[in-house]
Amino acid sequence: MFELNKTLTYNAFLLLWEQLKDFLITLGDMGQVFVKVVKRILLLRINFKETLEQSKRFAYDSLPISLTIVGMTSAIIAMQLAPELAKQGGADYTGSLSALVMVRELAAIMSGFAIISMVGSSFASELASMAVSEQINAMSVLKVDYIEYLIVPRFLAGVLFMPVIFIISATFGLICAGYVSNWCADLSLLNYFTSLWHGLFIRDIFIALLKSSFFGGTIALISCSCGCFTKGGAKEVGLATTKAVVWSFLVIAVWDFVFASIFYL
Amino acid sequence: MSIEVKNLSKIFDKRYVLKDISFKVNNGETLGVIGFSGSGKSTLLKIISGILEKDSGEIIYPENSEIAMAFQYSALFDFLDVFDNISFPLVERKELRGKYSKSEIEKIVKEKLKMVGLEGIEDKYPSELSGGMQKRVGFARAIVTNPNIILYDEPTAGLDPVTSTMIEDYIVQLKKDLNAACIVVTHQLSTIKRAVDKVIMLYQGSIVFSGGVEELLSGENPYARQFVSASIQGPMNIATK
Repeated sequence: MFELNKTLTYNAFLLLWEQLKDFLITLGDMGQVFVKVVKRILLLRINFKETLEQSKRFAYDSLPISLTIVGMTSAIIAMQLAPELAKQGGADYTGSLSALVMVRELAAIMSGFAIISMVGSSFASELASMAVSEQINAMSVLKVDYIEYLIVPRFLAGVLFMPVIFIISATFGLICAGYVSNWCADLSLLNYFTSLWHGLFIRDIFIALLKSSFFGGTIALISCSCGCFTKGGAKEVGLATTKAVVWSFLVIAVWDFVFASIFYL
Repeated sequence: MSIEVKNLSKIFDKRYVLKDISFKVNNGETLGVIGFSGSGKSTLLKIISGILEKDSGEIIYPENSEIAMAFQYSALFDFLDVFDNISFPLVERKELRGKYSKSEIEKIVKEKLKMVGLEGIEDKYPSELSGGMQKRVGFARAIVTNPNIILYDEPTAGLDPVTSTMIEDYIVQLKKDLNAACIVVTHQLSTIKRAVDKVIMLYQGSIVFSGGVEELLSGENPYARQFVSASIQGPMNIATK
């Protein structure tokens, strides 16, 4: 029994170590890719046609799911919050509290999660299948810079369009919360939106936009790094996609903590 | 134009994948590289094409050389149609960007498709083409910049004998048309017989045979004899590879 436990513990640690090693390798790949991407952006080596294409894909593909997730989350929060606040005599604070929660935290991170599942996974699987079918090698032989053609446009799409998705999702979420508060706690829409303005601060909006931009860039970088360095076959394409999704979720959560610590501690 | 490889070595995981490889291919000449799977043939092409770094040795070719490679599974960009695949280096390569007008690119693509016997398929996507057609589109894309060194990685793998013969004929024709130095990695004896001028054979990363096609097919080299006769018995131990 003791031997069995020892083996299980050993295997658990081994698995944890393998995961950590894998994460550090991904982080290393991401760092390398990031340096190359920034270098090309600074030298204005940007493929505008591809950037436009990827931006369209980034914003258009992820918007419905992002709106649904942020809308539902804010509706649920309002559903829980508004009746309780009404009981305590603080119904008028529903709007400002919703604004605080949505703008400071939920809209950015929920949109981030939606984008990881919609766009990040598709970036990773697309580039991974290109890597295993030697399409990326073919680009190198044809002397076309694959970082410039494949990664820079996706990175720029993430950095530029994640804040746009955040603004649309947060606005939609706050409207949803208003209607749900009206439905659940008889809070008038006028009261809700008046209170909402009291919870909205320009500083919070700027921080959230900056954070969204970081999230978008991080998702694109992790997904592209996991995809581009894939070797093997169909199984590895699947593993690369899973890895991109899991690491993106983790890194986004860490970024969120870092931002909260820097700006709100 | 020619290409010369001198004492080339590559190590993966402390094991020599290529050891002290040397050969020269002149323009208008085709070198066949044969050997069992895992003998280092594709690694050799990847090093010459610049996909992989060499660990030691030299690859010498004139400075203005253009190297092209036709991949084993064509490596066509599946998100682009045939026209965009072939014109890709003309449109996206930094030093060629803006050099050609739209009509010039159209003319070049049509000409290259004609050279590989495919016309009128510009709008098709790679998934709509047969394996042989994909290979030929891959050839057209490789030669679109008029290379003087062409590398073929198993050009007839997975194709039926008739299509293989056609591909071999195109390899010969393209070499003549472009007066290029060509290196063909292959397992197929038919490709060696029809499309190659001289041969090297790799075993465990080293050259074990170097000579003409006749010498390979009917000479006394024990490695060559084992390969040609497809025999399990011989100096090459397949189980250890």
